[in-house]
Amino acid sequence: MQSEAKQGVACPYLIKDRAPGGAWHATLPTLLGALLALLLASGAVLAVYYNPRDAYGAVQMINREVNGGWLVLGYHNTGASLAFLALYAQLFRLLLTRGYRGPARFAWMLWVKLLAVLLLSGWLGFVLQGGAGGALSLTHASDAALTLPGFPGAVALWIFGGPSGPGTLARLLVFHVLLAACPVWVICWARCAARRARPAPEGRAVAFWPVYASQYFAALAALALFFTLLLAFAPHWGQSAQAMLPGDVLPMVISYPWYLQPVAHLAGLIPGDGGAILVVILAAATLYALPWLDRSNGAPPGRLYRGLTLLLGLDVLALGWASAPVLQIIFGIWFFIHFLVLTPLVTAAEAK
Amino acid sequence: MRVLLMSGLALGLLAGGAAQAQTPSFPSSGAFGHIDDEAAQRGLAVYQGVCASCHSLNQLHYRDLAGIGLDTAQIAGLANAVKLATGQPATPDDVFKAPAAMSMGGAVPPDLSSIVAQRRDGTRYIYRFLTGFAPAPAGVTMLPGHYYNRAYPGGQVAMPPVLRDNAVTYADGTKATQAQEAADVAEFLTWASDPNLTARHVLGIRAGIFFAFLTLVALATKRRIWKQEG
Amino acid sequence: MAEPTADALAAHGTETRRDFLRLLAVAGGAIGVGAIAWPLIEALNPDAAGLEAARPVVLVSDIAENATKTVQWGGQTILIRRLTDQQLAAAQIVPMSALVDPQEVSERVAPDDGHIVVVIGMNTGAPCALQGSAPGDPRGDYGGWVSPCDGSEYDALGRVRAGPAPRNLAIPRFRFIDKHQLQLG
Repeated sequence: MQSEAKQGVACPYLIKDRAPGGAWHATLPTLLGALLALLLASGAVLAVYYNPRDAYGAVQMINREVNGGWLVLGYHNTGASLAFLALYAQLFRLLLTRGYRGPARFAWMLWVKLLAVLLLSGWLGFVLQGGAGGALSLTHASDAALTLPGFPGAVALWIFGGPSGPGTLARLLVFHVLLAACPVWVICWARCAARRARPAPEGRAVAFWPVYASQYFAALAALALFFTLLLAFAPHWGQSAQAMLPGDVLPMVISYPWYLQPVAHLAGLIPGDGGAILVVILAAATLYALPWLDRSNGAPPGRLYRGLTLLLGLDVLALGWASAPVLQIIFGIWFFIHFLVLTPLVTAAEAK
Repeated sequence: MRVLLMSGLALGLLAGGAAQAQTPSFPSSGAFGHIDDEAAQRGLAVYQGVCASCHSLNQLHYRDLAGIGLDTAQIAGLANAVKLATGQPATPDDVFKAPAAMSMGGAVPPDLSSIVAQRRDGTRYIYRFLTGFAPAPAGVTMLPGHYYNRAYPGGQVAMPPVLRDNAVTYADGTKATQAQEAADVAEFLTWASDPNLTARHVLGIRAGIFFAFLTLVALATKRRIWKQEG
Repeated sequence: MAEPTADALAAHGTETRRDFLRLLAVAGGAIGVGAIAWPLIEALNPDAAGLEAARPVVLVSDIAENATKTVQWGGQTILIRRLTDQQLAAAQIVPMSALVDPQEVSERVAPDDGHIVVVIGMNTGAPCALQGSAPGDPRGDYGGWVSPCDGSEYDALGRVRAGPAPRNLAIPRFRFIDKHQLQLG
């Protein structure tokens, strides 16, 4: 029959990818792109009503007074949550399959940049909500930044405009918006880099339309379903009730949204606000340097490496979950040990 | 819809368990919960009769009460009965009149607009708090001007017990027991914190069904296309 | 005519089903995208606070007889006066032929409250704010409003009675919410 005839000349590339569930992870960047587009669109609407001088009141007003404002807030809120979920899943997959080596190195570095941009943007979004935790977090950040000497200090002064006050959020809103434009570029760039790095399919090339389009469409529909259920029935999933307190109530401990929590706990490794910023920069640099830390020379990932990577995933989850400072330090140190010590050793051993 | 709501209620009852046997089940709780307009209107009466003398509701306007089923004339009448600080009666577009600033021995009565969202398991917390006043157990030294409350973190709160049987008279003839008043005001404050709760759940069911259907169609389309073109 | 083979039939069936599925998927996708985008567009309509400014509610029950309340609305001065029974009776007997711009009393008073007159306080002759609203203001020979610019005079119903003004005072859009309050707009 027709389909059999086609299979006769079919490209093994495609057949391999058609293994049950096999190719679905390839839709992750598309899903992330769709979520970022939704974040941009809903953010544009929110910016119409947002007021940095009364952030808490503005969010309340959008939720209560704007036509369907609660839904647009929900798009932005749930969209941010799921965008981080998609990005973390993508990064974890690349780690597990060593998708950061060789020609894919450039794409990996773009993904790390996207992580940095999204984390910064996510933190700004958290602060811009004007909740109690965000206000305290901003005070910590601006205090730390303003104690920096020399050039970094000048940059910090330029960003925050002095200690956090009524005008600070107006500045941070601009940075939040500017950062929002970056992921669009980065994600396009990363897609191109990944495509260039991928080996050309052997045999007949398969057209995007309708073969891949149908798969992306199915993935997007499933995402929309998941998104709807989360937005309607668990709109504040992964966020503490603290975010609903106005900014003039200062809490004892800051509860970040789930996607910032691991980074916030990692930042506690070096005490002090300046130390926290240093740790976050170190962690990003470590991920960025991963292609050089890997000594495998193209060998496929072995059992030990994959086990350790799964352990790292659990470690990051635990890092976000843990509330005891001792546990946070242990899980945080493991993150650095994994990349700086274990990865070079294990990959070198497995390459032999 | 009705069936879903009822089954949601049933599930909520089951999940409630024996530990919270004394806490009633709220129509607003659970994934398919909805605001009970009648209970919320009774809760509004409790808020106005009891709570409003100390607690503000700064994020709400009188016009917003349309969300718990009050019609324009009722809202206009309700607003008209309130004298603002200027001496003028309030209009539906005014924010709920705030009480004079006060301090209960250093504790400021919090604004109640989002109180349910600001507390973990807020609706039940409000109910347990309002019915949680009791004589201090032996061995607990009370701070001056504080009252013992089982539900309050730390057990000592500057707010006195205010709800008692017949603290308000309900227009619909419901017997105003203390537990009834607490449950009704909890429902009203749940609505105040999350005025879109019902709309959100209805949207979730409708859009959920649509996207579930779309996902199935998309998966079938993908399978078929890949079988044909593969 | 040869019977179509089973294979051809099967292929044909598959083909239509696939086309129908594809159509369903594309249509569903389009509806989905539209449904997702709709709230974003809807949210840009005026919010409740904006509507409040656009449609203010005015309390009229506190206006004394023969007194006028002035409200600023959308750059215009709205005059709301409560008429006495005598004023209404006097207005009823004015013949239409005596009016510059003939209008019945029923056309001038508020539909829900025959004692309330709501007009825009702008002279219809030379553009000019009117006198006659404050307690000490001159009200002219007809007990309404006068224009200090061209001397036009209006009666208590806002009908022009003398002077160069060609038309009665304009009546803004409003409705009574209840017997105490009216909403402009």
